[in-house]
Amino acid sequence: MLNTAGLRLDQAPPITVPFAFFLAAPPFAVAAGLWLTWAGDAALASRWTPQTLALTHLIALGFLTQILCGALLQLLPVLAGAPVPRVIAVGRTAQALLTTGTVLLCAGLAQGSGVPLTGGALGVAAGLALLGATVALALTRSRGVADTRLAMALGLSALAITVALGLVLVAALQGCVHLTGFPDWVDLHLSWSLLGWAGLLIMGVGYQVVPMFHVTPPYPAWLRAAAVPLAAGGLVAGSVLTLTGQGAQANWALGLAGVCFAAFAVTTLDRQRRRDRPILDTTLLHWRSAMVCALAAAVLWLVGGRAETIGVLLLVGVGVGLPSGMLFKIMPFLSWFHLQHRQLAARRFDLRIPHMHGFVPEARARLQFWLHLGALGLLVAATIAPGHGLTRPAGVALAAATGYLGVLLGQCYLRYRAIARRF
Amino acid sequence: MSSAITDTFTADHHRCDQLLAAAERQLAAGDCPGTGEATAGLAGALEHHFTLEEETLFPELAQVFRVAENPIEVMVGEHAQMRALLADLHEAVAARDQAAALGTLETLHFLIQQHNYKEEGILYPMADGALPARGAAIATRLTED
Repeated sequence: MLNTAGLRLDQAPPITVPFAFFLAAPPFAVAAGLWLTWAGDAALASRWTPQTLALTHLIALGFLTQILCGALLQLLPVLAGAPVPRVIAVGRTAQALLTTGTVLLCAGLAQGSGVPLTGGALGVAAGLALLGATVALALTRSRGVADTRLAMALGLSALAITVALGLVLVAALQGCVHLTGFPDWVDLHLSWSLLGWAGLLIMGVGYQVVPMFHVTPPYPAWLRAAAVPLAAGGLVAGSVLTLTGQGAQANWALGLAGVCFAAFAVTTLDRQRRRDRPILDTTLLHWRSAMVCALAAAVLWLVGGRAETIGVLLLVGVGVGLPSGMLFKIMPFLSWFHLQHRQLAARRFDLRIPHMHGFVPEARARLQFWLHLGALGLLVAATIAPGHGLTRPAGVALAAATGYLGVLLGQCYLRYRAIARRF
Repeated sequence: MSSAITDTFTADHHRCDQLLAAAERQLAAGDCPGTGEATAGLAGALEHHFTLEEETLFPELAQVFRVAENPIEVMVGEHAQMRALLADLHEAVAARDQAAALGTLETLHFLIQQHNYKEEGILYPMADGALPARGAAIATRLTED
């Protein structure tokens, strides 16, 4: 019997489930900007200061992971034909745990304080375990494009490993376990997080959405077949080498994952250059800027550039920029799509639903992109020339760019709600 | 198993994508006669595609494979949404409202993409499996008419 669940309308989650994740993300990035403004140069002077650790987790967990979780719940039914079981209860519980846990974890990291650190880590771990396990269960029942499903499965595995490594690191900080080569363990944690959880998901989703969004040629078959498994293989090899005390060699294995993502970035830029849709919209600008940042990070890593600069390029350039660009399409389309169904159900054809630009005007999205680029430029400059007073302006700029993102996304939701009430 | 339906209908989706991109290009360039022709070409191609699906492919599939009725209903509902957006597009083009026309084309593009993804991934392979003797003939009608 063929499975037709992939075509049922009721498998898509209620709009409030993904929107809750998308709307919760910008305040964390604003908090990161304000934190940077308050902490000043110390926050970007070294990747090991408490201020920096709090900053990176505000962005990686508070902003990026929130959005990736919401996107997974939304995209899984569409891209892989896999409805997520009990999506409302799972989404709300996981988000409550993730959000509370992130606040506590960041406070704990900033203060070096035991109770919030442990409580926050456990909260984040519980939220992500619940969401990850439920999504993994849905993925086992999925169909559709094999390479995207594989990327989602490996991305989820990377999330599980990232969380496990994070818990081990917190236990080590609390003195519960002793780790030899602590910095290598930290490198593993952030590699699995950025290249695994975020990187593999971006590649898997990118294979589908880049050709869809701008009508580009498809990604080459060799890249689709090789990049995700090779990147995952590099992460596994890097982990084994680290665990056996060969930290230096591990770096090269982790570099393989970086090379795979760089190949994806080059191919994406090439595919988008050869697109059929002529419009240069804000989503495309965010994609281009994010892919250039990924390439710049790879080059800097190869030539031994500053870790803080690489971190800014990956966390803010890719981790903040790319999801922002995607949300400028996803939220207006979901708003329009759900309103259409409400209109059909209510048979209220006298009410006119605005098109996508009516939910997030393109000119305002474009302004947000320039604010983002300004913040990114200042942040990169602050890491290249530490101690020159650039950190605080960079923090203000980051808060302004992501605050404006929050305003635009919030207005999109309010517009949706105002129209939905009329049906 | 034959893949005539999947291959031909997917190729036609790509043709419609190109036509939508062409309409967007004319619109962005501010070429009014060109935009009118391009949007008419897009509407004609989409209507031809929908009609063959609604009058031939979907009824034949539903007859052989009753479980396909629900997904077919969803697809036909989305065709209606696309027709409504095409009407909005004609209205905006006639009123020379470039911003409204671009926003409507963008919405149409996204609706088409998620619609095509479902058809190409599930419904067409299902039709190829359920209508092995008829697939090639139905596919030929799409390119000949």
